[in-house]
Parts: sequence; C-alpha cells; structure tokens
Amino acid sequence: MKLKLYADRMSQPVRAVIIFCKKNGIDFEEIRVDIAKRQHLTTEYAEINPMKQLPAIVDGRFKLFESHAILVYLASSFPGVADHWYPADVFKRSKIHSVLDWHHSNLRRGPTTIVRNTVLAPVLGRPLNPEAAAEGEKFLSASLSKIESIWLKGNGRFLLGGNQPSIADLSLVCDIMQLELLGETERNRFLGPYKEVQQWIENTRNATNPHFDEVHKILMKAREKLQNLRLKGANNEGGESDMKRTLHSRI
Amino acid sequence: MKLKVYADRLSQPVRAVIIFCEVNGIDYEEIKVDLANREHLTPEFAEINPMQQLPAIVHGSFKLFESHAILIYLASSFPGVADHWYPADVYKRSKIHSVLDWHHSNLRCGPITIVQNSILAPVFRSPLNPEAVAEGEKILSAALSKTESFWLDDNRPFLLGQNQPSIADLILVCDIMQVKLVGETDWNRLLGPYKKVQQWIENTRNATNPHFDELHKVLKELKEKLQN
Repeated sequence: MKLKLYADRMSQPVRAVIIFCKKNGIDFEEIRVDIAKRQHLTTEYAEINPMKQLPAIVDGRFKLFESHAILVYLASSFPGVADHWYPADVFKRSKIHSVLDWHHSNLRRGPTTIVRNTVLAPVLGRPLNPEAAAEGEKFLSASLSKIESIWLKGNGRFLLGGNQPSIADLSLVCDIMQLELLGETERNRFLGPYKEVQQWIENTRNATNPHFDEVHKILMKAREKLQNLRLKGANNEGGESDMKRTLHSRI
Repeated sequence: MKLKVYADRLSQPVRAVIIFCEVNGIDYEEIKVDLANREHLTPEFAEINPMQQLPAIVHGSFKLFESHAILIYLASSFPGVADHWYPADVYKRSKIHSVLDWHHSNLRCGPITIVQNSILAPVFRSPLNPEAVAEGEKILSAALSKTESFWLDDNRPFLLGQNQPSIADLILVCDIMQVKLVGETDWNRLLGPYKKVQQWIENTRNATNPHFDELHKVLKELKEKLQN
C-alpha cells in the first residue's frame, strides 16, 4: 500500500511534496500526469482529483489534494519525520499555518503568473500576455519584499526565525524556483534586491540536497530548451511549433 | 490574559473568528479596527499585524494573523471546543485543510471582488467596475458549482459529508454571506442554481445561531445605510 503521488515536476507544489518525501524517507510511487499534454484534464484523473490539479496523493483508500494539506498530512502520518517540518508546538505550528495561508494570496500568484504568460505560454497553448505577466511581477515583488522584511526577520536561517526548515520553507522556495525558467538575467533582476531571500533559498536548498537539485533538474533542462528555441526562433520562423514539440518530448 | 481579536465585522474572516469564539464560549475582547477609515493601515496596527489585514489576534505575547491559522489555533488551544470543529482524526483534519486551501484560490476571490467593485466601492473610495464585478460573479459561480457537486454530500448537512460543522463551514459560509450586500435579487440570482449550497448555508446558520445572525447584522445595517 505504497503512497501514490500524482505529479508533474514542472509544478512547484509537486516538487515541494516530492522533496519532502525523499528527505524524510517516505516511500512513494510517482505517477506522471503531464500538464503540457493536458493529462490533468482527463476524466481518469478527475477520479483522483475532481479539481484537476496537481499534486494529489492516494494513500490506501485516502485521497487528498492541495499541497499544503498534503504536506501537513505526510508530516503528521509518517513516522520519522523530524518535528521541525511541522512542529507539535501549537505556537510554532500556527505561525507555519499563517505563512502557508499568506502564501496562497501573495507569493503563489507571482512566479506562476509570470512564466505562464511568457516563456511557458507556447508550451501550454496559451497566448503571450504581457499585462498578466506584469500583474504577476507586482505580486512577486510585493511578496519578496514582505518575506525579506517580515517572514525572515530575526536571526534564523529559515522563515519565522527557525534554524531548521519547515514545510513552509519548502513550499515557498519551490514557488520562487519557478523563476529559473525565465533565465538567469530575469531571475537576478527579480531576486537581486533581496539578500535575505537569496540566502534563505540557498539554506533551504542545502538543507534538502541532493533531493532539491535532483527534483529541480527538470526546470534547468526546460530553461535550456526554452533559451535554445528562443535563439532558434530569432534566426528563423519555425520557433513556436519546434518549441512545443521539443518540450513535449523532453519535459 | 484575555484573547484580543482585532476586528471589523464587515470582514468575512473576522465574522468567522468571532462566531467561533462565541459558539465555543471563548472569552475575548473585540478591538475595532475600522477598515473604511483605513485604521488597518496605521503604524499602530502594523505592530499587531505587519501585513495590515484583519483579523489578527493577540493572546498574551502571542500574535497571529490569517483567519484559517487563527481558527486552527483557537480550536487547538482552548478547552471545551468540540472535536467536530477541527477533528483530531488526521484524515478528517486533512480534508478540512484541503477545503480551506482550495477556498483561498477559489471561493474567497468571488464575493469580495463583486462587492468591492460595486456597493462597497464608494466606502473604500474606489471606482465602480462592472467588468470586475462580472469576473467576480464568474469566480463565485465556479466555486459554488464545485461546492454543490463535490464538497457537499447529498445526504449530509455540512462540507465533506459531515454531520456537524467544522471551521471550514464557518469560513466559507461567512464569505458567501458577503454577497448579501448586493441585495436579495442578486443573491437569489447567484445562489439560485445551488440548492445544496443554500441548505448548507441555512444549516451553518442554525448550528451557530444566535451568534451568526448577530454578527451578520452589520451587513444589513450597511446595506440600508448605503441605499439611503
């Protein structure tokens, strides 16, 4: 009765759940649901998650979706998960809940909105939408500023002054990592002003490696492909359908 | 060390927290932070909640904001809170988390977008925006449709097939109630297709009255004031 995880590693919340499982020795079967191929919109997948989103888990007969709920469930149900991921202490735990809630209405709307309306638009069969991307940029900057000045206040290496990572660190950092798809220049433009944030991303990565890097490989590969195809597109007209074909076969 | 709740009853998540306290006999002091007068944007309130939003609580030296986090904290910390509000059973509890998370990106955006761009626009000194209202209505309808077809079981009175309300019922219903501000005709138009949702709202109201009605008086009063 192995845990089943329905996943596409291009999705930030999926990556957070996978890294958490690997870091904590939780045995799971990763079942690929390809977003670019719209497999999340099939009737088969709707049986797993009627909201048709990733990630979702099936543990025996228990089905669950929403990555924060999944992380809390895994931290609460699997033995050997260190307390710092989701502390038993009600005060620490409540603060983690407040970050996770804040995240939904703030940071979560940043990176994903930017990439879906720019570099990933052709892959997802969407039109480029610079206004939507600009909205995403506003959310991102406002959120990074709040993380820098409020959530990372204090002397800890992680959110809320912690010296060990929690599920909140994993969830938020995986979201920010989506910016890698934009290429280094753009990523640095966004993250440049925020030194504490940059350090915290590095801390989270170090605390969860080698899994963090392994799970994020897909983003780095996708970024390369997107850059090559943009260059190709600049040299000839065939860019867009080439991009779609190549990314479908490689991601 | 009485609990302090920083509140404006115009805010849906504030109402959910206060109703929860009242129903569960949690002693608290309600400290008014007037949204229309922008009191949530003062440096004094930023000391309580640097995100400058409501609700926020202070319990001794512990400060907390985000209504879902607050409800979970209260359910976990105060004796005498019945289990059904936030069950100890990890499966039931996880499902409640999934509704609350889904709510942030789905239902939550609906009513607030509708009312802020129509009837409440003058209160917050922003322009009327019918396109935004139409967007809000789409979001609300999609969320109500999912609530009707998935979150609400045919034979059970509350979300997730439960016989008793949880913090998720309170949060979602208080959010939908905001639509009362636009008047009965629009309320009936928007809620009309969803029979289970309407019954569920009534069930939640009955399970938490007289506090539910008491807390929602502010909406009636404001609507009358704005119409005159």
